[in-house]
Amino acid sequence: MVDAARQPKIDVRAFTEVEKVEGFVGNFKVTLREKAKYVRADRCNGCGACTLACPVEVPNYFEMSLAPRKAAYVPMSQSVPLIYSIDMENCIQCYKCVDACGALEAIDFSQEDKLVEEDIGAIVVATGFSHFDPSVMEEYGYARYPNVITAMEMERLNNSAGPTSGDLIRPSDHESPKTLAFINCVGSRDKRYNPYCSNFCCMYSIKNAVLLKQMNPDVDITIYYMDIRTPSKGYEEFYDRAREMGIHFSQGRPSLITENPETHNLYVHAEDIALGRVTEKEYDMVMLNQAAIPQPDQNHMSSVLNVAQSPGGWFMEYHPKLRPIDSPTDGIFFAGACLGPKDIPSSVAQGSAAAARASRILHSEEWDIEPTVAVVWPDRCSAETKGRACGLCVKACPYGAVKLEGDKAAEIITAKCHGCGGCVAECPEDAITQLHYTDAQILAQMRALLAEKPEEKILAFRCHWCSYGGADLAGTSHFEYTANERGMKVMCSARMDSDFIYEAFRLGAGGVLYSGCHPQDCHYITGQVVGAKRASRLKKTFDRMGMTEGRFRIEWISAAEGDKYARVLNEMQDVLDNIPPEELHEEIERLKPEMSKRLKNFPGVPGVEEAMVYSDKLVKAITSQLEAK
Amino acid sequence: MSEKPSANPNDGELRIGVYICHCGSNIAGVIPPKDVVEFAEGLPDVVRATDTLYACADSGQRLIKEDIKKYKLNRVVVSACSVRMHEPTFRAAVAEAGLNPFLMEMANIREQCTWAHGHDRDGALQKAKDLTASAVAKVRFLTELDMINVPVTQKAMVIGGGVAGISASLDLAEQGIETILVEKEPTIGGVMAQLNKTFPTMDCSI
Ligand SMILES: Cc1cc2nc3c(=O)[nH]c(=O)nc-3n(C[C@H](O)[C@H](O)[C@H](O)COP(=O)(O)OP(=O)(O)OC[C@H]3O[C@@H](n4cnc5c(N)ncnc54)[C@H](O)[C@@H]3O)c2cc1C
Ligand code: SF4
Ligand code: SF4
Ligand code: SF4
Repeated sequence: MVDAARQPKIDVRAFTEVEKVEGFVGNFKVTLREKAKYVRADRCNGCGACTLACPVEVPNYFEMSLAPRKAAYVPMSQSVPLIYSIDMENCIQCYKCVDACGALEAIDFSQEDKLVEEDIGAIVVATGFSHFDPSVMEEYGYARYPNVITAMEMERLNNSAGPTSGDLIRPSDHESPKTLAFINCVGSRDKRYNPYCSNFCCMYSIKNAVLLKQMNPDVDITIYYMDIRTPSKGYEEFYDRAREMGIHFSQGRPSLITENPETHNLYVHAEDIALGRVTEKEYDMVMLNQAAIPQPDQNHMSSVLNVAQSPGGWFMEYHPKLRPIDSPTDGIFFAGACLGPKDIPSSVAQGSAAAARASRILHSEEWDIEPTVAVVWPDRCSAETKGRACGLCVKACPYGAVKLEGDKAAEIITAKCHGCGGCVAECPEDAITQLHYTDAQILAQMRALLAEKPEEKILAFRCHWCSYGGADLAGTSHFEYTANERGMKVMCSARMDSDFIYEAFRLGAGGVLYSGCHPQDCHYITGQVVGAKRASRLKKTFDRMGMTEGRFRIEWISAAEGDKYARVLNEMQDVLDNIPPEELHEEIERLKPEMSKRLKNFPGVPGVEEAMVYSDKLVKAITSQLEAK
Repeated sequence: MSEKPSANPNDGELRIGVYICHCGSNIAGVIPPKDVVEFAEGLPDVVRATDTLYACADSGQRLIKEDIKKYKLNRVVVSACSVRMHEPTFRAAVAEAGLNPFLMEMANIREQCTWAHGHDRDGALQKAKDLTASAVAKVRFLTELDMINVPVTQKAMVIGGGVAGISASLDLAEQGIETILVEKEPTIGGVMAQLNKTFPTMDCSI
């Protein structure tokens, strides 16, 4: 901590929040909100005179509310930076602190939150974790029985810098406890709350037992556990040492804690699996090892940073095995418990790893980004053909990357374009294309996928970031779904042109899935909104045509929702299975002219004609091979 | 769109190479890769199709690179795993052989085929063929592209001042990189600063 404050290249901005992150790798623009501390950082020398003078006492979050702090405060005496602040919510404006500060004149009640913008090349996100509140588990009596405490409260009570200077005492009578029970997996590995293992509580449970035993060998400690998980280097040996010290381990999750209302002693009811019987033992004090959970603002941060979340709410790595530190956004990296519970050695290692990943970029003068950007054919823009630009491309673009000036054709500012393809699909004149995702390329792919028995196929449009990832996860998890799915990938649902969907049905597709990110996960700010609007218009059109419900389906599927991807495809297969083949055939044939009518401009798009001719050849090659078999 | 001419430019004649990966038994345990090879050989402009045990391994990449020269390939299709896994690998491989990296396309026949349809081998085989054909169709219309070069602001931001964020900040700063460490609370340190002695060394946490 102190090293960080001393390092001249590190600029610590405490009491500061991230408001907005814009831009892209090498070129992020981050807006920070520096919250008003009502104390001038350039004048406060950390003497603490204001705290002494302040008459207001409120619970200190840092002490898990076990001890008070003043309204003029620092959370702890070793705070970094050591700059005091006034907690305006609780301040009674008596101005005693101002007098106490005296000639330093560091206290400034006129301060306001300040918004500052920073230009940044790469970002490391290390926002950590929060703690499960066990009071929702009625059976353990936390918050009702004074002598049931959480592990975080134990860390403060058993801490020489803590509120009791390291004397562990019972909250009910301030006596030192002689018998203690520690309960593991509280809110972890429990389907009602959090199914996952919180990773470090087995070890800190043993740690606290060892520490207490070292201080007083007479205390009697029992750790109730489901399994003891000590897989890192030296951890199993640590566990062995605890057993040698006489710490008891009892396998079986306690079902109930009751209290003697007079002594405030506690009875822990559990099944001892080793003995095969139900036990009920009396203790002076009980510690609950509460689950590690995502930060309360993690959803909000995920949309500010435009990164995805895993099941459970943690941030999601680009690839759990091969790119465990990268976010899906180039230039943004993760470290520590914000990815999931993890102990200090692993968090430090990930911090270093993230620094290494980020410094690849930060040591470079220039960085490469994908050239999959939009390009305008000026002669097709309505500015040229009709004398007036319609401007729909400008509306579609989340980044303000389309330039429309006077009566000139639209133009894409390449450096600003992120390549969602929204303008491409929205342009009514088909005057824009996207490199690497041209209409011709996509059409050729579709025709290959629907070459054989199209009525049996479900053509699935997926976006690169979310639903394609969801489909990957379905496979990685071996969630099986219909092999009649035929997947296509574009960068964003914004690129899923109406023409593609009409063409799929014109070619006789049994079903079409239109899928992308959930709106809050969209990689292109509002690309999904553009895609979603178009999709619901298409759905209405198909309903009016009398298409069977479920043949065209819109679903937002995140990269973490492999199960959903599989379920949606299986449900679409059920829809097709429930239409008698001759009826489906009749419906497809009946709707073909409707689709053709809507596709009358499609062949005019540069490249499409050629793609049609080529696809005929390809389709012939595919079908003739199958016939030969 | 490209400034640098690529090897084997497409002067009207397309020469597509198709590589079907076994991925050990991950793909080959469900479908016979040879059947997909045979199918690919019958597609227009495919001048070379073969299977390989691990396309991503050195040997697999070498095969592709040598073939680009030997068969004068100007388009490559790799039917293997997810683009999220190995697209950068194969782009780099074809680039080493002088081909523009954007003239390579992958078909995902592992995550999105054999792993998802393990109990429908016929369905999986048909799908693997179609996905391969679809990639062949796409490469037909690919054009050479160059990565876009953007300037880099050589300054880092670390969000969160717990032990992970502090470790990242120190490592960045010690390399001479200006680093802003943003912490929402009045002090950095995170949970670790609240802890008593910490395992595994049992020393004090701050
Ligand atoms: C009771 C208990 C005992 C433990 N004992 C041990 C032990 O003995 N040994 C061990 O190895 N591990 C132990 N751990 C685990 C240890 O606490 C974690 O490994 C470690 O704290 C993870 O560090 P971190 O930096 O990822 O997250 P954190 O410590 O949670 O730090 C995250 C920081 O980011 C800040 N932040 C969050 N959101 C934002 C935002 N939006 N903007 C700006 N800043 C933000 C937070 O205020 C915080 O300062 C224990 C955990 C608990 C609960
Ligand atoms: S680390 Fe141990 S106590 Fe914590 S959830 Fe996992 S098994 Fe339970
Ligand atoms: S809408 Fe998308 S593709 Fe079009 S210019 Fe904007 S970012 Fe680029
Ligand atoms: S949407 Fe198309 S026609 Fe309209 S201004 Fe943009 S490029 Fe021109």
